[in-house]
Amino acid sequence: MSKPLTVTGNKRKWIVMAIITLIAAGIISFFASSHPDGLERVAADHGFLDEAKKPSWTAWISGYELPGIAIPILKVGLAGIIGVALLFLVLYGLTSKLTRREEEDHVGENDHHPS
Amino acid sequence: MHIPDGFLDVKTCITTGIVGAGAVAYSLRKTRVSLSRRQVPMIALTGAFIFAAQMLNFPIAGATSGHFLGGAMASILFGPAVAVVIMSAVLIIQALIFQDGGLTVLGANILCTGVIGSYAGYGVYRLGLIMLRGRLTKAVTFVAAWCSIVSAACGVALLLAWSGTFPIGVALQAMAGWHSLIGIGEGLLTALAVAYLTERNVDMEGLQPKPEVTPT
Repeated sequence: MSKPLTVTGNKRKWIVMAIITLIAAGIISFFASSHPDGLERVAADHGFLDEAKKPSWTAWISGYELPGIAIPILKVGLAGIIGVALLFLVLYGLTSKLTRREEEDHVGENDHHPS
Repeated sequence: MHIPDGFLDVKTCITTGIVGAGAVAYSLRKTRVSLSRRQVPMIALTGAFIFAAQMLNFPIAGATSGHFLGGAMASILFGPAVAVVIMSAVLIIQALIFQDGGLTVLGANILCTGVIGSYAGYGVYRLGLIMLRGRLTKAVTFVAAWCSIVSAACGVALLLAWSGTFPIGVALQAMAGWHSLIGIGEGLLTALAVAYLTERNVDMEGLQPKPEVTPT
């Protein structure tokens, strides 16, 4: 194992990350640049941006704006918080399911081998 | 850099769909072997952070913006297989709930920003560690993240060219050009986040870093 760095187990640092994540999704997201991103710029420059099809279905929170809310910063901020919560729950559920199966195979194996 | 529906032709959508599904299945299997219980909340939080950071488009030159991808960050922290799982979760939720990135091109998006982004970032990171013997890890992380987003952009360019959208040379030049600028932001944020979330391996202190590598 030649890894000079390992992921920190410091709980405080991960709590800070969680707070940063919530502030980023809930507040800073509103102030994000609305200019086209790299791919959209390339598509516009080379005349195929119009080929992007409007989806035939409507997603729940299209374009990162929660429908039915009047205040713009809340529209975006709540959409961001919902996305953050969804990802946390989905990944938590998925990965704990994966480890549970692993632990049934190797009961009592040590907890901290960095992969 | 989320490809919308309509940019890629049918053969490209089907091919990338199959290859993308295979890559996710492989990564899930590999994750199951390497994952430890204590990593579960860290991985979930990293995915949530990457989603949030992807919302924050920052302006670059010429009325264009860029946003963080996160493949390099995830793979440096948890290895490329877990990174593909994290990035796929982000992309699937973005496509299904937020209509960001098309459904028919989900495989292509997973392949480019998930698989290529994670493995390129991880490969450059490991190579840099070996070449510099574990020194200058922040600089290595920056370069790895830059390479990660630029190679993901090249992947998108290749798929666009394969779909007959525009010639391969023009596609590569345009996509790599813009994303080499966006890559500076990717590199800075990745270097910051990785430096904050990692610590020097205590066992390694005072030891000469060994040149041989045992990945994951």
